[in-house]
Amino acid sequence: MRERIRSWRFGRRIAALAASDNPLLRDYAACRWPSPRTPLHEAKLLALDFELDGLGRTAHLLQAGWVPFDRSGIALGRAEAADIRSARRLKDEAVVVHGIGEERARGGEPLESVLAKLVPTLGGRILVAHGAQIEREAIERTTQALYGEALPVRAICTLALERRLNPNLVGSDAYRLASCRKRYNLPPYEQHDAFSDALAAAELLLAQLTRMPGDVRLGALEC
Amino acid sequence: MANELSQIRAFLAASAPFDRLGEDEVARAARQVTVRYARAGETILEAGTRNEQLFVLRSGAVELRLAGEELTMRLGQGGCFAYPSLLRGGEVRNTTRALEDTLLYCLPAEEFHRLREACPAVADYFNESENERIRSAVRDLRANRSSALQHATIDALLTHKQPVSCGPDLSVAEAAALMSARDVSTLAVCDEGRLVGIFTDKDLRTRVVAAQRPFDTPIAEVMTSDPRTLPTQATAAEAMALMAAGGFRHIPVRGGAGELVAILSATDILAHLGDSAIDTGMLVAKAATPEALIAAAQQIPEGLARMEAGGFHAEHVMRFTSALGEAVHRRAAELAETEFGPPPVPYTLVAFGSLARGEQLVGSDQDNGLVIDDSVDDEGRAYFERLGTRISDLLDQCGFVYCKGGIMAKNPEQRLTLGEWRDRYARWIANPDEDRVLRATIYFDMRPLHGDAALVGTLHKEVVERTQASGLFVSFLARDAQRSKVPLGFFRNLVLEKSESGRKVFDAKAQAILPVIDIARTFALSEGLGAIGTTERLEALAEAGRMARGDAESLKDAFLLVNELRIAHHAAQVRRGEEPDNALAPSALSPLERDYLKDAFQVIAAGLDSLKRNLAGGLA
Repeated sequence: MRERIRSWRFGRRIAALAASDNPLLRDYAACRWPSPRTPLHEAKLLALDFELDGLGRTAHLLQAGWVPFDRSGIALGRAEAADIRSARRLKDEAVVVHGIGEERARGGEPLESVLAKLVPTLGGRILVAHGAQIEREAIERTTQALYGEALPVRAICTLALERRLNPNLVGSDAYRLASCRKRYNLPPYEQHDAFSDALAAAELLLAQLTRMPGDVRLGALEC
Repeated sequence: MANELSQIRAFLAASAPFDRLGEDEVARAARQVTVRYARAGETILEAGTRNEQLFVLRSGAVELRLAGEELTMRLGQGGCFAYPSLLRGGEVRNTTRALEDTLLYCLPAEEFHRLREACPAVADYFNESENERIRSAVRDLRANRSSALQHATIDALLTHKQPVSCGPDLSVAEAAALMSARDVSTLAVCDEGRLVGIFTDKDLRTRVVAAQRPFDTPIAEVMTSDPRTLPTQATAAEAMALMAAGGFRHIPVRGGAGELVAILSATDILAHLGDSAIDTGMLVAKAATPEALIAAAQQIPEGLARMEAGGFHAEHVMRFTSALGEAVHRRAAELAETEFGPPPVPYTLVAFGSLARGEQLVGSDQDNGLVIDDSVDDEGRAYFERLGTRISDLLDQCGFVYCKGGIMAKNPEQRLTLGEWRDRYARWIANPDEDRVLRATIYFDMRPLHGDAALVGTLHKEVVERTQASGLFVSFLARDAQRSKVPLGFFRNLVLEKSESGRKVFDAKAQAILPVIDIARTFALSEGLGAIGTTERLEALAEAGRMARGDAESLKDAFLLVNELRIAHHAAQVRRGEEPDNALAPSALSPLERDYLKDAFQVIAAGLDSLKRNLAGGLA
């Protein structure tokens, strides 16, 4: 039931976007969107990660990394990463986490140009991230601010999936990206780098899928 | 282009053969990668299908089986597979299965072929079979060392002055005059062009002047007769080994036709080496007291460290260290004889194991015994008890520590008459059981060190004949060899043992050297070959057509390669003042050395397999 409601809402928002003046949004809406009944191995996916300067609704995007992939593998040739320009005074605690200081942030690409590359790639694809809600909200918020329309995003959250696959793990660390990867014998990666985290989530999803039926449908995984 | 793939690049740059590529090439290759994941048990590639990718293991482990059956290899992180199919044009022969959850980097065939064209070292890596790769590995390792004496043959050390010679009838006075006139310290004594002896300044002093012999004594009476000689192509290291073993300083050198070319002196080698390693041999041979012998023997580990630093081949380090060990054993026996008087009947001090094979390094315990003439009586046995005990005790103090298994002259079971030894071998061979074989294998490597060599010669010949005739015994040996755990999955921590300090290590001797020794010994015995050294055995097997030349060479290379690493490890421990051991930590090896080791393990595992198939006779 939730699956159907989700699908219906996404369809309505896409339909609204199709009438937009903005060609970026129109093209996004015009993409071939898979039905929730599509087997996952036929679906096109996009692993995405943002580094932000905080957690609130006003947090700035500082870095983005993404790579399109599907069930058969992750082609690194299509990997993208960019620092995003921000002139804001950065909070020290966030700088400590992702290592992007004010000087580097001022040297980044403008948000518009990063989105102009990201949005066409995301079209027709399901976003994959560990804690996908953050990326989804960041996209909706920034497109709302830039284009006056929030981009609807379909997503698979590897964190939510892990809670289903391995429920009842104890400790707050057990569902973090690095801990989850370890359970599938995936190598440790550098953390809090947007591209590394995106790739890490993509690999984690491939690993998680080996623990599920081969014909699992998209709708069963989306959040 | 952003540096988003920096982690992938760093991983590839540390893995063979990508470590041979330039930065730009690695970066380019990284962008061609597709990442795949396989769950433990999943089949990644199936024999008989077509393949268009090179696979690199990022994490996990896989197993390759020929046609899905016979185990070809196991690979861990950094391992590459499926390139033979790319080289053949696609057809897959090995079925590859994930042993663990595995992350794979896949490179498309075009990129694989492009890299081979861009970099000859990468092309070599993929073109060569394991056997060829390990051979080039040995070459590489050696090339990386400083090479003071590597290829120095005696020829290059000789001053090419015509040796001064005389006939056997010349008087001592005339000989001395000749030596003064030509300013040489050594005279070659020739009879009708054939070298019959040498006469040195020292001989003049000790055998003529000090002995108060008349100056008209013919030189033939005071010379050293039938001296050991070497051909001009012998290496300096061989000459050093001979000098150290014999305790002499001059070796006549013969040419292609056997003619006398020159007299090589220790000084010639020292001048070339700038090193005094030979002095240890001199000190051992001259040691007049047990204390002097112990002091001399204590220099052996440092000698090994110096040879390692000097870039000696493993083969030569082993031979030279064994020669010194042999000299210590001989001198220990001589000193014991001085103490207890001459032996009542002939006997031989015999070495078993590594010293017999000429493969000794430092930190070995003693493996020896006495072969006594059958005419010995009770009183004689009491003499040999004292003698054997004294020899073992002295050797222990010299650093050849007591054998934990009791294989030493101190032990009554190791002091037998020729007849008793014969019976003992006959029992082992006729009636093998696992326990006996386990204890007996090193007895099949034997060499006389001191005394009447003929006793051991006779025994060895009989043992070889008897073993060859007993298929059952050989099959026990072949099966016994399978106990060795070759760490095929070297990079899988599972097979590594923890050392006392808790580090993961592997035992270079037990897990790599002993299996090769077992393979060579068992095949050689099954063919009735009398060779004792491992490389000599493999050589003899190839020569006799009993082992494929390539297989023999590969085993030899694997054996030498692991010994090179082992010697370097020992030398480092000696320099740090530690006791040498055989525990190699993979973390202490370079990625290239680890790669070489993997190849060596493949070769050794294949050798054990062949032993099992050919000789274990269904018992394994």
